[in-house]
Amino acid sequence: MAFVLPVVAFFAVFNVFPVLYGLYLSLTRASLLTPPRWTGLDNFLALHSDPLFRLALGNTLVFVLGSTVPVWFASLGAALLFHQTFPGRDILKTLFFLPVLPPLVVVAVVWKVLLNPIGVMTWLVGWIWGQGEISWLYNTTLAPMVMIVVHDWAAIPFYMMIWLAGLATLSSEISEAAHIDGAGPARTFWHVELPQLRGTVVLVCALSSIGAFQTFTLQYVLSNDQGGPVNSTLVLGLLIFKQGFQFFRMGYAAALSVVLFAMILAVTLIQLKLSRRAH
Amino acid sequence: MVFFVVAVVLAVVFAFPLWFMVSSAFKAENEIMEVPIHWLPHDFQGWEQFRNAASVSPLWRYLFNSALVSSIQVAVTVFFGALAGFGFAKYRFRFHRLLFFLVISTMMIPFQILVVPLFMEIHAFGWENSYVGLIVPGMMNAFGVFMMRQYAADLPDELLEAGRVDGAGEFHMFIRIILPLLAPAMTSLGILVFIWSWGAFLWPLVVVQDRSLQVLAVGLTDYSQSYSRPPMWGAAMAASTVATLPIACLFAFFQRYFIKGLTAAAVKG
Repeated sequence: MAFVLPVVAFFAVFNVFPVLYGLYLSLTRASLLTPPRWTGLDNFLALHSDPLFRLALGNTLVFVLGSTVPVWFASLGAALLFHQTFPGRDILKTLFFLPVLPPLVVVAVVWKVLLNPIGVMTWLVGWIWGQGEISWLYNTTLAPMVMIVVHDWAAIPFYMMIWLAGLATLSSEISEAAHIDGAGPARTFWHVELPQLRGTVVLVCALSSIGAFQTFTLQYVLSNDQGGPVNSTLVLGLLIFKQGFQFFRMGYAAALSVVLFAMILAVTLIQLKLSRRAH
Repeated sequence: MVFFVVAVVLAVVFAFPLWFMVSSAFKAENEIMEVPIHWLPHDFQGWEQFRNAASVSPLWRYLFNSALVSSIQVAVTVFFGALAGFGFAKYRFRFHRLLFFLVISTMMIPFQILVVPLFMEIHAFGWENSYVGLIVPGMMNAFGVFMMRQYAADLPDELLEAGRVDGAGEFHMFIRIILPLLAPAMTSLGILVFIWSWGAFLWPLVVVQDRSLQVLAVGLTDYSQSYSRPPMWGAAMAASTVATLPIACLFAFFQRYFIKGLTAAAVKG
């Protein structure tokens, strides 16, 4: 009992209490200077008619979609590729894995340079489209897409590693049996191997979507003017930060957090349920 | 052969931005944006861009702060994670299941949800803008407890019984017998926690205002997001290289543990 006490006390003080306190804050008007004042559901009603919230909600959902489904398939594809044997596989796999190493801030800063309107990416794309200048981060259509592509660049190698760990646990006997029974590689993978990877599938889906809902750093660092241009990359994580730490509307920021939490919880529960049914 | 060609293309596409980062750290400012790009600096600058980075911002101070914060968080998380993981795996006590559930359920809490109330709490403690406020909230990690419990549960009970027969105290036994056996798992966990802690951005951003206390991850934005002077891309690339180097070294020297730590959730979960 004494062994677990420090850890339990820590989580009570720095995790459980803040969650409950956050729920309370979301029902108040609070700033750092004035003590919280009870306002009931006012924050949530205000949220309902806040155009910035709707915008951030939409932007977040677009980002979640773009940084989950493509990542699942691309990382699985990469894992299947690097699961094969061919000359130079290990060194190429290591090179492919490199984007996992830099912290996300570094990823954002480096891409900010690459995405300069007259920079390297414009030059590369210029071969195809023949454009001299592309305003990647100053265009309301391009900027949200750029956030997704940069995120996926860093995420695909990471999830490939998880798929590879799953693929390593596969029983080769079962796959061979399927092969002897006349199943081609695609059918063997879909009907025989993928069902054995159920745990990995759930993990990849859950981790990637939970992470995507919380996105903050990319939009804060990479986008022009923290969420711009014209709020086209303003996501919920960024809106919570702005409301709480730039406008000091702590109660409202807490209410936003509660909504984000509810969304993440719902997605997690749906995925758990789907994985149970697959049993 | 097809596999090889596809793999080469993928490797080039995914490794290119990092090559660009490192090579640009040694280029002159106007050479960075030049196209077609120079794969290697034509006008090699030596450490000039690193010196530039350190002259407009306290780069080395940032680096020291990051090292301090990360090393304390890694040490505490790994030690107490192993202690609690062992406790949950090998002992039965009142509220055993409830407490374990409580700890594990905090894994489900996204940090975005905590940041506002946690900041209010730290503010009330008077820990705002201090090392304590920076370090303490990240000093424990539910996933660490969970991972350690999984590994500790696999250890045979006979070990403990043999220790008790010899009259060793429970804590003594933990230090002498259990810790060495958990060392490989602790190494993996330590690397994982280091990566999280080193890259942490949102919490340092909100809790620290003094630049002398700030960590490298937040300090990096000095070079790209200043309103008072033009962005310094060479300095940004140099500082980014510095920020990536510790993790790259861990990867180079502890590759096996590194991959194991990252995929621990996949295998053990």
